[in-house]
Amino acid sequence: MSKAKTESKNTKKETTGNVKIYIMGSAYEVPATLTIMKAMEYAGYKFTRGSGCRAGFCGACSTVYRKEGDFRIYTALACQTMVEDGMVLTQLPFVPADKPTYDINNLTPSANTILRFYPEVARCLSCNACSKVCPQDIQVMDYIQFSLQGQIDKAAEESFDCVSCGLCAIRCPAEIPQYHVAELARRLYGKYLMIAPSYLDERIKEIIDGKYEDGFKELMALSKEKLEERYKNRDKE
Amino acid sequence: MVNYSYFPGCNLKTNAKGFEKSAIAVSKKLEAELVEIPNWNCCGTVHTMTADNLMKRIAPVRVLARSRKHVEELENSSQDIVTLCSMCNSTLKIVNSEVLVDPEKLEVINFQLEDDEETYSSDMEVKHFLEILRDNIGFAKIANKVVKPLKGFKVTPYYGCMLLHPEEAKIDDEEMPSVLENLIESLGAEVVFSPLFKYCCGSYHIVSDEDIVTRQVQKIIDSAMIRGANALAVACPLCAYNLDQQQKMLMEKTGKKEAIPIFYFSQLMALAMGEPVEINHFEDHKIDPRILLKELKFK
Repeated sequence: MSKAKTESKNTKKETTGNVKIYIMGSAYEVPATLTIMKAMEYAGYKFTRGSGCRAGFCGACSTVYRKEGDFRIYTALACQTMVEDGMVLTQLPFVPADKPTYDINNLTPSANTILRFYPEVARCLSCNACSKVCPQDIQVMDYIQFSLQGQIDKAAEESFDCVSCGLCAIRCPAEIPQYHVAELARRLYGKYLMIAPSYLDERIKEIIDGKYEDGFKELMALSKEKLEERYKNRDKE
Repeated sequence: MVNYSYFPGCNLKTNAKGFEKSAIAVSKKLEAELVEIPNWNCCGTVHTMTADNLMKRIAPVRVLARSRKHVEELENSSQDIVTLCSMCNSTLKIVNSEVLVDPEKLEVINFQLEDDEETYSSDMEVKHFLEILRDNIGFAKIANKVVKPLKGFKVTPYYGCMLLHPEEAKIDDEEMPSVLENLIESLGAEVVFSPLFKYCCGSYHIVSDEDIVTRQVQKIIDSAMIRGANALAVACPLCAYNLDQQQKMLMEKTGKKEAIPIFYFSQLMALAMGEPVEINHFEDHKIDPRILLKELKFK
C-alpha cells in the first residue's frame, strides 16, 4: 500500500478546522481531515475516472498539485494524501503511454528485449525525476538503469511495489513509460529467471490427482450459515 | 588487499561479460579487487561536445558521487573509480575534469542532485583498470602471478581511439603507447606491433552503415595478420564487437578464410593466471578464441 504522505513537514499545523484549496482554479473551503480525493468530492466533484480502490493499491488516482507561493510541482495518490492549506489541485484521469504488445513466451530476458519494445529507455539522462515523484518511494531511475544493463532480476525486484500510477512517465524528460518497462521486466523475471519452488509441481500434481475434490464437494454442499461458521473458526496463522 | 570502487558500464553486463568476469577474477588474484558500485547508472556516453548541455552531464557526475559514497563503505580503498570500458573511462574522465576546472558548472549540476543527497565535490579520480595494473600493481607482480605463460601467442595490441584521446582522458602516450605491450609481454606472449593500433574501428557506424565498419576492420586485421599476429588485444567493448562481428561478416561475404580472435586484455591475463577458461565467455565470440588455444595446445 502506498505510504500516506503529507508533503510538507513544516506546514502541517492543524488537523481540525477548514483549509482553503483550489480545484482547477476555483477556491473551496474543506475540512482539514480529508484526503485530496475526499476533499474534491466534498467540493462537489464526482469521479468517474481517476479513482479506484481508495486504499493506495490500484494507482488510479495520481494527482499533480502545487502550493501557493511554491514553485515546485508535487505529486501524490489522491486517496492517500491529506489536503493542506493552499493546495492547487487537479486530478489526472489517465496517464497516456504507449504499451506495445508482445508474446512473453518468445522473448529472452535481456537488455535487448527491453530496448526492442522500449528503445526510449536508452535516452535516460539519470536525472532521477521519476524516483522523486514516485508515491511508492521506488528508485525508478535505478530500475530503468538495471533494465538497460540487462540486470532484469534487479529491475524486477526494485520495481515490485509499483502501482502503475504513471507519475514517473509524466515527469520524464526522456519520455520513458517507466511503469510499463517495469512490467515487462517483472514478466521476464517471472517467466525466465525466477527459480520455481520445488513444491509448486507437487501441489499441481495433487490438484490434478483430485486430492482436494472431496473437500470442495463438501464445502459446496454447505448452507450459508454453516459456511460462515466455518469461516469464523478457520485456522489462522 | 586494496578494494577499488568499480564502475562496469552497460556493455560489461551484456555483450562483454567475459571482459568483466575475467577482470574481476584477476583483480582478486592481484590483491586489487574490483568491487562493483551497487546502484550505478549510465556513464553518459556519448560525451556531448556542447559545452552548456549540462543535462547530459548529470549521469556522469551522479556516477562519480555514487562512487564517492561507495568508497566510504569500502574497506581499504582509494579515491579512485575504476572502469574497464574505455568509452566509460573517457566520458567519466572528461566530465570529471570539466567540473573540476569549472565549479559553476558543477554547482548547476549539483542542484539537480541535491534532493537525492548525491552531490559531488570533485574529489574522485577516474582510472582505467590498465592504469591500476601499470601504476599501482606493476608488471613485475603480474608476471609473478603467471602460472601458464602464453607461449605461441602473437598478440597485436589494439588501443582504438578512446584510450588515447582526448588529452583529459588518455591513459598513455597517444603516439607511442606501451601499457598493453608491457602487459602482454608480462604474460609471456609475443607482441606484434601494428601501425594501425589506433585506426578507427568504425565505431557507431555499425548501427547505420555496416560497410564502413567492415572496411575499417579489414584493414586493422590484415595489418596485424600480415605481421604474423594470431590474436588481437583490446580494452573497448565496441572495438571488440566490431572487430569480432565484422570478421565473421567478411568470411561469409568474401569467402575470406582466415580470422584472428579478439581478446580483452583481461581474458589473456585470466588464461595466463590459470583461471578457469569458462569465465572468459568465449562462447559469446564470433571468432572463437578456443580454436587458437587448441592450435597452441594451451591447456
